[in-house]
Amino acid sequence: MATPSVAVPRRGRRRSDFWARVLASPWLLLTPAALALAAVALYPLVYGIRASFHKYRYGRDVGSAGFENYKDVFQDHTFWTAMGTTAKYVALAVSVETLLGLGLALLVSNQLRFSRFFRVTLILPMTIAPVVVGVIWRLMYASDIGVVNPLFNAFGLSDPNVLANPGSAFLGVVVVDIWEWTPLLFLIILAGLQSLPQEPLEAARVDGAGPVRVFFDHTLPLLRPVLMVAVVLRLIDAIGTFDQIFVLTKGGPGTATQLISTYSYNTAFLFTQYGRAMAMVVSLLVLVLILMVVAIRYMRSAAMRTAS
Amino acid sequence: MTRERGISYARVATLLLAIVVALFPFWWMLVTSFKQPVDIFKGVSLVPQHPTGDNYNRLFSNYHMGDFLVNSLIVVTVAVAVSLVLGTLAAYALARYRLRFHLNESALVVSLLVRTLPAILLVIPLYLTLSKAGLLNTRLGLIIIYTGLNTSFVIWMMQSFLEEIPKEIEEAAMVDGDSRLRALRRVVLPLAGPGLAATAIFSVIVTYNDFLLALTVTSTPSAQTVPVGVSTLIGKIQIEWGPMAAAGVVGALPIMIFAILVQRHFVRGLTLGAVK
Repeated sequence: MATPSVAVPRRGRRRSDFWARVLASPWLLLTPAALALAAVALYPLVYGIRASFHKYRYGRDVGSAGFENYKDVFQDHTFWTAMGTTAKYVALAVSVETLLGLGLALLVSNQLRFSRFFRVTLILPMTIAPVVVGVIWRLMYASDIGVVNPLFNAFGLSDPNVLANPGSAFLGVVVVDIWEWTPLLFLIILAGLQSLPQEPLEAARVDGAGPVRVFFDHTLPLLRPVLMVAVVLRLIDAIGTFDQIFVLTKGGPGTATQLISTYSYNTAFLFTQYGRAMAMVVSLLVLVLILMVVAIRYMRSAAMRTAS
Repeated sequence: MTRERGISYARVATLLLAIVVALFPFWWMLVTSFKQPVDIFKGVSLVPQHPTGDNYNRLFSNYHMGDFLVNSLIVVTVAVAVSLVLGTLAAYALARYRLRFHLNESALVVSLLVRTLPAILLVIPLYLTLSKAGLLNTRLGLIIIYTGLNTSFVIWMMQSFLEEIPKEIEEAAMVDGDSRLRALRRVVLPLAGPGLAATAIFSVIVTYNDFLLALTVTSTPSAQTVPVGVSTLIGKIQIEWGPMAAAGVVGALPIMIFAILVQRHFVRGLTLGAVK
């Protein structure tokens, strides 16, 4: 292996002594990063959990509240509605994204000539800011200037006015999520497919198994670790969905698209009930942590599978 | 024979449909951004009837888009640069030293946790903390938040890139009389260069795209970033469709270019190195 030999200009001896000492000590290398992580993640988490046990009045901490916030939250009808909507949203969006992503990846995987082109074009929706995704779909759905109403009219259907009615608004934001994130599943599954060992698949084909049998008996089991990484990472991310909802519906009409993220955001920043909002968030955190444990397990086995 | 040809036509048709579905909404935003207000309301037209740059003019003169871009540029550049340094140093330690107490493992798990935590879990305490520190509505506050969060990503990515560089190459250089520092500079960094570049671009994308944190801790164009700026165009009673579409285009364009640059490393970045 050729290593470019860069002429290192002689700088002050002391300076290189300093760096030599830093590099020789893993603890010195780790400390700055550890401090940064502690400041913006560990401290806020601890602080937030503490806040969930405190009472806030007009945004001011007015002392300990015990489990009051949690009791309030669990008795709050709107909270459970938001939890239910979040669950429905995540389940629907992620399962459709997985199926579509898998389907597209299978279509592209042995189309080697164009797979690069497809990869570049199909991933664009997930690269841009979710806020911009929201703007794009505001423009698509708008009842006066959009294209979705005219499209329905073209098929002889009446105006759906997607974001104006509770039922269609929910489906509308799910469709946006699917548009935005199917590429993620597509891309990861495609990478997984392309790293699969070909011999067992070939052998099965030689033995006379049809494409469907090969897929369910061989491809899918081999793909499982990669598929699980993709799905679990997407699940965690989907649970926290906020930006597009904020831009598209702000949780409305009524509470049709109110997710736990928008509800806790409103509780904290419209009604300055930080303690209560944190109690909601901490309940959510428990769920996310469980998913993360699963994610880490699958990430290890996927890393082993695709390392070779 | 004909059946197989039929299948391959069906496959091409499906993929083309997928591409149209993926790209058409972008086109619609682009077209709307170049239309005059009257034409926007004149029904569906897939090209601007009388193309105009007026929406973009108004976006920059009335709606502070220039300020938002400058804020984003400063915040993203500083935060990504600092976190690359912090994260790479830590990643080097994790890739090259076996630490006590299984620290290699747990450090990676912690940075994964920080990286994947939905922002809604951190935003309330971060807001309260910044408010206590008097850093609300400042670029510095945003820089601190993004630096910390992004460091976790850099650690995870760079650890996986550095681990792929065989220790032996570095050790060989050291046997030849290089100090660890020189070995790092002459051998490791050039080999890790592409990984470092991919990590940097990924960090830029994620940091630039963040909305919730910036929305909460900033409140005026003196610190608001592009995504927050874009959202301010919507809150009004009457939506200004033209400038809003233009804002979407300006917000999306730099990131799309970056994304195409790193598309080869995309999967790795998205799965935090688990799938290569």
